[in-house]
Amino acid sequence: MQSENGFYGQYGGSYIPEILFSSQQQILNAFEEAKNDPEFLAELNKQWQQFSGRPTPLTFCANLTEHFGGAQIYLKREDLNHSGAHKMNNVIGQGLLVKRMGKKRVIAETGAGQHGIATALVAARLGLECTIYMGAKDIERQYPNVFWMKQLGATVVPVTTGAQTLRDALDEALRDWSSSHEDSHYLIGTSCGCAPFPEMVAFFQSVIGNEVREQSVAQFGQFPDRLYACVGGGSNACGLFLPFLEDKDVKMVGVEAGGKGLELGEHSIRLSHNLGQPGIAQGFATMFLQDKAGQLQETHSIAAGLDYVGVSPIIAHLTEIGRIDMTYAMDDDVIDACTMLLKKEGIIPALESSHALAGAFKDAPNLPKDCNIVINLSGRGDKDIFNVAKAVQDETFPQFLTDYLAAYPTSHSDQQEQNA
Amino acid sequence: MSQLAAFIEEKKTLKATRQQDPILSMTHVVYGYPSVQESLDWMERLMREGVDFIEVQFPFSDPVADGPSIVAACHKALEQTLDVDTCLSQLGELAKKYADSRIVLMSYLNPMYRFGLEKLAQRAAEENIQGLILPDLPIEQAATYQAACKQNDIDPVWLVTPVTPPARLEMLASQASGFLYCVARSGVTGHSSHESKVKSTSLDDYLAHIKQHASAPMGVGFGLRERAQIEQLIGKADIAILGSALLDAYNQGGQDAGIKLINDLFN
Repeated sequence: MQSENGFYGQYGGSYIPEILFSSQQQILNAFEEAKNDPEFLAELNKQWQQFSGRPTPLTFCANLTEHFGGAQIYLKREDLNHSGAHKMNNVIGQGLLVKRMGKKRVIAETGAGQHGIATALVAARLGLECTIYMGAKDIERQYPNVFWMKQLGATVVPVTTGAQTLRDALDEALRDWSSSHEDSHYLIGTSCGCAPFPEMVAFFQSVIGNEVREQSVAQFGQFPDRLYACVGGGSNACGLFLPFLEDKDVKMVGVEAGGKGLELGEHSIRLSHNLGQPGIAQGFATMFLQDKAGQLQETHSIAAGLDYVGVSPIIAHLTEIGRIDMTYAMDDDVIDACTMLLKKEGIIPALESSHALAGAFKDAPNLPKDCNIVINLSGRGDKDIFNVAKAVQDETFPQFLTDYLAAYPTSHSDQQEQNA
Repeated sequence: MSQLAAFIEEKKTLKATRQQDPILSMTHVVYGYPSVQESLDWMERLMREGVDFIEVQFPFSDPVADGPSIVAACHKALEQTLDVDTCLSQLGELAKKYADSRIVLMSYLNPMYRFGLEKLAQRAAEENIQGLILPDLPIEQAATYQAACKQNDIDPVWLVTPVTPPARLEMLASQASGFLYCVARSGVTGHSSHESKVKSTSLDDYLAHIKQHASAPMGVGFGLRERAQIEQLIGKADIAILGSALLDAYNQGGQDAGIKLINDLFN
């Protein structure tokens, strides 16, 4: 979606410290050139295909459709990307842009670690130095992802300021960029931040919706009637929705994280029920969860990838003008939706994507049988093994962890013995 | 000439007649750190000791242009509920009591945007706070704010940096009133793990370039910690801004350690 000078209605823009002005302009120009350069686009398509496995399928869910007895349910399988999530579409695009700009290093923020891993993967492939900022609390919760980032050669920096989560990681990445802008690129993971990041990330993610346009016509002879996507930062929603923006018959539904309840600090609902307020922070204007004095607040979701205080200015604007309907799903509904997809279709969804499932499952029984809906399955759920095990109260899991730990080689000599 | 620029000229003339170095001191304090009263006491002490300016930072939860010392102080301060209007009134009391010094208010955009930028300019003027610094508000988005400042006869303070492109630097310098905040180096305030590896143009050349285009006085900040750095600025800038170094001294040895640092650097 084309912005007006970086703005989407009253949202977006570029509100960054003066020190970053030149670097921001450099990205703006490089992206403008690249997106109109057939060679760049050809390379992008090649990497999407050969490195990430695109196109991803559109999967018809016969069992779920029968179960609900309403709409025909399809899943866009972004979980089948390399790294297991749609994040790959964006990091491949920005990675190629970094090479084009001649920079040697990338910085990224990550919450759950999915964007961190995707960035580390691309950095390894493109020979870039990579520093990932991650809240110290998120590192505790998501250590397996941190492990892989390190194995891939990235430096993972724990952020110990504030609430020690995604928002603080983003602040710290901006601080790094303020001193390293001449040789480093800030590879932001979602369609937030200063211009041109929202537009650029949405551009790279739009491959999702562009594929659905072709696949839907090929598989059921028309565009979908309704699209569903979870909304954290908003990149997978932008990716699915924006290619259908001008097709007014295609209804779009965004699903935010209702968390544990509607009290401030218990959820990440920024765009409905008057819970978020307009604000300007972290480089851009959008709806933020904040107190009356304009201090940004803590958020919660069972899905770390939706646990963010702001939201894409593009989604905020499209919601304001009524093009997108926003709803939310509570943590418990999300686990139920996740379990249902596992049992009915043999697919393991990420908890983030399970929000989109929960939103769609609520509507599906009440929709007519000739209604085709596409749900963006933005990521796979293997990463959520610990959280889902806890949520479904698996009885064997704690014993497994205890036994595993008991057998874990803790000293160097143990490891040598094992390798011998 | 703006009130702030006139004050700076006057002070410099006064210093010259007293055979003092013709450079003004601006010392930074985080409002509400470690408590509102202690921060007000610290401001009062600084003004009593005769600093030319205090720069008061109203805390924000996400201060992206600041390094670890100031970030930690802001987060600590925000453990209390802080109110912009109350802060302005309290600063106004100090401004009245210490008429030989000036107070400028620094914050990030969001708390001020929520308060209302026009209301902010009006209230600041009422309390004789003559300058406002908002490091994440670019001049391109600031038309309403600039108009409100002008109407209330206070100065929006713009920042320039060693990597600001020449044309933009000249535009900012020419628009500056009150004073122009010249960031001395890349990075965030104070000591941090993010030290720039790139050697930029010499500070002297950078300041000389700005001076060609700025009609307003020039303040220099970011990374000032030693007397030699302040001495280097004499004749090239008008104000030396002391932020994180002062906070670090205050954290280590309280008000007295802070005052000692100021005396070591300026007297």
